[in-house]
Amino acid sequence: MQNKEEAKHTLEWKPGARLLAALSRLGIPLPSLILLAILVITPLFVTDPYVLRLLVISLYFGVQAMVFDFTAGFINAVNFGFAAFVGMGGYTSALLVINLGMSPWLGLIAGTISAAVLGFITGILTLRLRGIYVSLMAWFVGLALMAAATAMADITGGFRGLIVPPLYETVTMTSHYYILLLIGVAIYTLLRVIIKSRIGLAFRAIGQDFEAARASGVDPTKYKVINFTLSCACAGLFGAYYGHFIGILSPDIMGTGHTVEVLALSYIGGRGSLLGGLITAFFFIPVFDYLKSLMELRLIIYGACLILTMILYPAGLAGLLQKISQAIKNLKMGEK
Amino acid sequence: MDLSTVWDLFVTGILRGGLYALMAGGLALLFGVMNICNFAHGELFIIGSYMAYFAHVTFGLSPLLAILVATLGSFVAGILIEKTFFSTLRKTSKGEWVMNAFLVTLGLSVVFQNGAQLIWGVKYRGITQYWEGTIQLTPRMAIAADRAVAFLISIGAIVLFWLFMRRTQIGRAIRAVSQNERGAMLVGINLNNIHTLTFALGSMLAGLGGASLLSLIPAYPFAGVKPNIRSWFVVTVVGLGNVGGAIIGGFIVGLLESFAYYFLGQGWQDVASLVMLILLLLFKPSGLFGSEVKGVLER
Repeated sequence: MQNKEEAKHTLEWKPGARLLAALSRLGIPLPSLILLAILVITPLFVTDPYVLRLLVISLYFGVQAMVFDFTAGFINAVNFGFAAFVGMGGYTSALLVINLGMSPWLGLIAGTISAAVLGFITGILTLRLRGIYVSLMAWFVGLALMAAATAMADITGGFRGLIVPPLYETVTMTSHYYILLLIGVAIYTLLRVIIKSRIGLAFRAIGQDFEAARASGVDPTKYKVINFTLSCACAGLFGAYYGHFIGILSPDIMGTGHTVEVLALSYIGGRGSLLGGLITAFFFIPVFDYLKSLMELRLIIYGACLILTMILYPAGLAGLLQKISQAIKNLKMGEK
Repeated sequence: MDLSTVWDLFVTGILRGGLYALMAGGLALLFGVMNICNFAHGELFIIGSYMAYFAHVTFGLSPLLAILVATLGSFVAGILIEKTFFSTLRKTSKGEWVMNAFLVTLGLSVVFQNGAQLIWGVKYRGITQYWEGTIQLTPRMAIAADRAVAFLISIGAIVLFWLFMRRTQIGRAIRAVSQNERGAMLVGINLNNIHTLTFALGSMLAGLGGASLLSLIPAYPFAGVKPNIRSWFVVTVVGLGNVGGAIIGGFIVGLLESFAYYFLGQGWQDVASLVMLILLLLFKPSGLFGSEVKGVLER
């Protein structure tokens, strides 16, 4: 009797377990699924539009931090011009929608493509460079783009900015949240699948030891360009979305400050963890919003956290979490 | 365009170049000796301008004395920053020093900018001039005496700095550390002291720039952003870590800017100079003077 019940039990759970195993083979472990479930359910309990807006902004920054980490944490190249790629996507979409009357949905795609092309070019430009020089090159590309966006005042509106139409007329905060979540999940799945594949292995090899990777036949050039193109495409998608979400676009979006914010989230979250930055964003951004009247204080905390992370624990929160879980595991082993 | 316009542009460029040389020299020193890519260099600049402002306006010190106070103050600030942050980081950071140190300076820059805004607000704290009068350079062009003195101060500081690095025992020690850290340690140089001194010197040069140009660039929280980008521009042009090159490069970039501004106008001048820089990085990543910094290229 007991045996039968047990058998039934396993039978019932089998499809779920199989699905889980398949997902985990794709590189999506159980904790991320739990996180996803929490993210999906949350808006059902939140009716306050202010809180909902905070969630949207956290998601917006969090996914960017994740995309940033895809480059910084894996091939160990800090894309210091990140914001410019976000801005590139934003301006492409906004200008196409305004001037050609294109649907904003197509605008999102166009923004993604334009940022991807720019990322591809930047990847090619930095081919021969290493370490800090890659960051410098990306930074200068970003500054040049920002200066160009400011200088072309007759097209982009210059400093005054550009009024951007919304995604669709009746868009609500909840739909913003779910659209962004959908995009975020798609990006996360894509990045995880890539990281789990041979390409991801090559990324990590390049990030950890450049010479050794080359010696074992990994072509750094190719993988660097793939990585840059992908992460910049994602950045462009978010920029395009941002324009339609906020409704106004100014060259500020391409500023170094924006890059630093994403970079800080990503590094505090832990490099090479993808989700670390996302989770950090959901902690930091709502808390910071309470300090809205003290914008400076918020940025000071950002800066201080970045400094502390680098000095005390460069692996970030994700590294800390891993260490704690390892310690707990060791403790259990000891008990047995 | 006649000869006198060229002359005017030349003078403007050289005056501008004085500041760039001062800032970039310090930045190159920090990279050359300590391997720190200091993104907070502009914030060291505003430390100087704030100190000069308070010394001159609040405490009513004479201009030269105010600049001196600000310079020494920046030196002390440099010591404090190095001891608190980079000294600690040096102990905890295992590999990846360049990137970790760079990220720390990023954090410092954010903290300083917003700290200044929190404490002093976004108010511009400037002065109209330290010294009155103008100097007639050409029949058409006169520059403020202030500007000329600031220029002379920066040239003087650069010369002194150069002599210090070349002629004194400590200067030699600093150069030894930049050439070979382990070798320097073996001959009995105290690395910690040299690192602290180097950071303080770099900070002092930037602070002197901020203090002497107070009438041109008032002290406010984000005053350092432009000087920072410009000095990064210069050191990239000449090659990171090349102090002598950075001083010459400062003047080159100053001249380039004043001519580009004349021909292209404000907005496009930035684009053009950045595109030029990107091309330079593309074809000669080690910079114009090809310094021997390792790890620039893959091969």
